[in-house]
Amino acid sequence: MIQVRELRKHFGAVKAVDGVSFDAPDGTVTALLGPNGAGKTTTLRMIYGLMKPDSGSIDIDGVDAVARPLDGQSRLGVLPDVSGLYPRLTAREHIRYFGNLQGLKGAELERRIDKWIEILDLSKVADRRVGGFSHGERTKVAIARALVHAPQNVLLDEPTNGLDVMSTRAVREVIRHLKAEGRCVMFSSHVMQEVSALSDRIVIISSGRVIAEGTAPELVALSGKSTLEDAFVSLTGLQGPEEGSHSA
Amino acid sequence: MNFTRIKAVAVKEFTDGFRDKRAIYTVLFSAVFGPLMIAFLLTQIAGQEKSANDIKIPVVGREYAPVLMNWLEQQPGVQIVAGPADPEKAVTDRTVEYVLVVDKDFAKRFGESRPAKVQLFGDSTRTQGRSALRRVKNLLQAFSGQIGGMRLAARGVSPAIAAAMKVEDVEVSSARARAAMIFNIIPMFLLLAAFTGGMQIATDSTAGERERGSLEPLMLNPVPRWELITGKWLAAVAGSSASMLLTLVITSNVLLRLPLEDLGIRFQMGSQEMAALMAAVIPMALLGPAMIIYLACFAKSYKEAQSYMGFLVSFVTIPGVLSTFYPVTNRPWLRPIPIIGQYSLSLDVLGGHDVSVWGLVAAAVSAVVCVGILLRLATGKLSDEKVVFGR
Repeated sequence: MIQVRELRKHFGAVKAVDGVSFDAPDGTVTALLGPNGAGKTTTLRMIYGLMKPDSGSIDIDGVDAVARPLDGQSRLGVLPDVSGLYPRLTAREHIRYFGNLQGLKGAELERRIDKWIEILDLSKVADRRVGGFSHGERTKVAIARALVHAPQNVLLDEPTNGLDVMSTRAVREVIRHLKAEGRCVMFSSHVMQEVSALSDRIVIISSGRVIAEGTAPELVALSGKSTLEDAFVSLTGLQGPEEGSHSA
Repeated sequence: MNFTRIKAVAVKEFTDGFRDKRAIYTVLFSAVFGPLMIAFLLTQIAGQEKSANDIKIPVVGREYAPVLMNWLEQQPGVQIVAGPADPEKAVTDRTVEYVLVVDKDFAKRFGESRPAKVQLFGDSTRTQGRSALRRVKNLLQAFSGQIGGMRLAARGVSPAIAAAMKVEDVEVSSARARAAMIFNIIPMFLLLAAFTGGMQIATDSTAGERERGSLEPLMLNPVPRWELITGKWLAAVAGSSASMLLTLVITSNVLLRLPLEDLGIRFQMGSQEMAALMAAVIPMALLGPAMIIYLACFAKSYKEAQSYMGFLVSFVTIPGVLSTFYPVTNRPWLRPIPIIGQYSLSLDVLGGHDVSVWGLVAAAVSAVVCVGILLRLATGKLSDEKVVFGR
């Protein structure tokens, strides 16, 4: 369970996040939807403790993550927007390294590594160095090492960005699996189909503020449009060609 | 504090660094290069010294001065050979180092007790053969002095009257001093090994981590920043110490095989001296990686970090060069100064001076304090959002 209240962060004169509040409950997939530069990544970075908010509070399973970022981090599994692997280490070594850093070791750790290699279908490449891996394989390794400590809360920053069909399916499978286990899953995206297919709740962010939140049908009803995409365009106030207005 | 996590970071970084074949070759090359260069230079000096004692004198017109030639050939290690047709050109072209040319009126003037003429062609700016040239000059002067003395004695005058004073040449520098100077660069290679050995791990695990974008995922783990820095530093320290030890072993093996007695150098490298030398330089294996890690935290990429390394290497080479002008041996107050202290101590060990345990401890403690400060600064740098996300 992640609760964010009145989060603010500025870079120079730019207010990247300007008073964001939302809840991401357990057993639910919450999507952070917004155009590029809306403040999604900055919001996530504050939640996962690598950026300090100017003001506001972040509560992860009852822990004040602003005051105790390391305690917050141990309750989180994060896939950041770059996979950032080590070319000379194997897939298995990546997962083991992060497991060690999360305080896991021995047979228990090895069991979990095997489990994630199985789930993500990495067994053929598990003991190869990741230097030659495809984008999809890299993302899978990054997911496995982020989740090896079985965190209650999972943050994924644009997890399917640039992935092929098979890898996208694998990622979606992982998200459904985590939800079924009763975990709190949050992911950011700007892909409508993905958001509507995967999420239970949607938080729309634009210019550093929460514009609207609710289920997909609720948002569509709120905007008075027929599809989620039109609802998104309407709610964020973005300029774009209206459907059927190509006459000019 | 969690040693398991620090160990996990150190093991990972060491494994990662060890798999970088190019980095391994660089370390091996630099460990072998230094000792081989020292061996080459010392053999050269030994060779020059030998050539000063065994000399061949190219002579033009030897038939004009049989007395002089006989006398020269009786001197130990001297051999007369035929000189080139154009002596000046031969010396300029460096086909020979010097040529003795005998005037064709030599015998006549010699017989009339007038100064007989010889010319000695040589190039005093050349180090090669300089000592041999000096020996030839001395021989000629000795001959002249002997004959002059005999002439005075034949006329009933004591030769001692002709000599207002007697200069005795006591040679203390030359080959031995030059060899000692080369000995001075041994600590430089040892200290450089501290940098080359840890460089790959120290830069790849900091600047390289930023470049790959792997710093952000790494810092998502609930590990205090200083534990990450300490783990990375330990891995680099392992590389540095290994490279230092390798350089030390190769250097002492090379030196034991060289004819150092010919150069008048006392060199003992028993296990006790080895241990003392290692104790003198090992704080550098701690300090070097800490310096690299701190500097590399400013770099956005592995390459950028590498470009800072020239700056660090000058930290080691400048004291080395300075020590040839300003003696650093046997100055206990220099010991607490990092790098210079290690220099001073290792030169004392190599020179066979006694090194006190307190000197070693003082040098080590000051290096460790510097390590602490540098790692603290690097931790602060790593906590900066601009460093984590700025690529």
